[in-house]
Amino acid sequence: MTTASPADADVGTKRLITKPPQLRIIPPLNFCPVERFLYRSGQPAGLNHSFLAELNLKTILWLATEDPLDQFLTFAENNDINVYFVSLDDDEYDYSNNPWDGLSETAIRKALQVIANKESYPLLVCCGMGRHRTGTVIGCLRRLQGWNLASVSEEYRRFVGDKGGRIMVELLIEAFDVSSIKVDPAQAPEFLLR
Amino acid sequence: MNSQVLSFGTSDLQAALPFIPGNTTNHSHSVGSRTIDTDPSEEEPEEEVEIFDDKKKKAVPPLNFALVENGIFRSGHPMPINFDFLASLRLKTIIYLGDKEDNTAYYEWIESQGINFKYFRMESVSEPFKANNPEALTNALHLILDSTNYPILIHSNKGKHRIGVLVGLMRKLLQGWALSGIFDEYDRYAAGKGEGDLEFIEIFQPVLEYEERCKPGFLRTY
Repeated sequence: MTTASPADADVGTKRLITKPPQLRIIPPLNFCPVERFLYRSGQPAGLNHSFLAELNLKTILWLATEDPLDQFLTFAENNDINVYFVSLDDDEYDYSNNPWDGLSETAIRKALQVIANKESYPLLVCCGMGRHRTGTVIGCLRRLQGWNLASVSEEYRRFVGDKGGRIMVELLIEAFDVSSIKVDPAQAPEFLLR
Repeated sequence: MNSQVLSFGTSDLQAALPFIPGNTTNHSHSVGSRTIDTDPSEEEPEEEVEIFDDKKKKAVPPLNFALVENGIFRSGHPMPINFDFLASLRLKTIIYLGDKEDNTAYYEWIESQGINFKYFRMESVSEPFKANNPEALTNALHLILDSTNYPILIHSNKGKHRIGVLVGLMRKLLQGWALSGIFDEYDRYAAGKGEGDLEFIEIFQPVLEYEERCKPGFLRTY
């Protein structure tokens, strides 16, 4: 038996890339990394599953009021991914929990508490199209990080598509009470502490 | 929280935002009841000007700032107002694809931070007469293939086209994204223009070399 481990054999090994990887992966609609091991997107379809598998997700934050597709839930189950539904059991909107309504503050707070816990990572935040609900939560996260509002809006508008942004979403982000989110330094991911 | 939030000197803001109220050095116009018409050399900076309505100082990321992969950030050209935000990222390397060489405030800041600065001259594409510079892009890709350079900031001037091409090539060659996903991402920052860039991303195939033990975690080679 030789003593060389595979790692030793790799030291100094140069390799060439002469073509793209054989198997192409397809990012979900509006996919984008937000912070280290934190991602955002619209609802992944079946053809995005091999892309998602690369992320080794531990948690998915589902923000829409509709249930996600069965195949998405099955994917999560097969890969031991925890799915949080912050909007589905939202008692603040007992009477009018419509898809076109914005997120309630309770739902935003629930979402941010999941994001503020490093045990949730790698984490995907998503809704139907990855535009307004996802944009709301990421916008509030940016405010929690101390970003100036113009940069928060710039980022939100990048994902809204041709119809443009919604003023209600931007107002919600602007008015959100960031001090209501308690960030525990022992639990928080590194990017919330810098 | 935010122990490293930004603090601005008025001089920074004057450099970054020539149009803010109170920054009257180069203008002659009426502010409130005062008429200002002074020689720039006479005007001493007054007391600190209160810019923000809340006391908490803001973290100001550069134009078109985003995370590309863990350890790789993209943006437009940083301005002095962004320096404190960028310092919080603890960058090891900055790659600049562009052609502006007299932005001394920026270069002095980079030097003061001890950041490894890689400048690859690449002029803005102007179809059909000026194309992307394959050599600059290949050099940049080689730096991205070495994770000992991370965290990296890659930027151009607006963070739209040149950096969009670099990110697109990275998505195609190093990660194997489907082209439609790459084009969608490109357009999110470029917002129109750049058909030639998409063509370039699709066609360009350099030979890249990387060292196994330094490769980034997102690299797909199968």
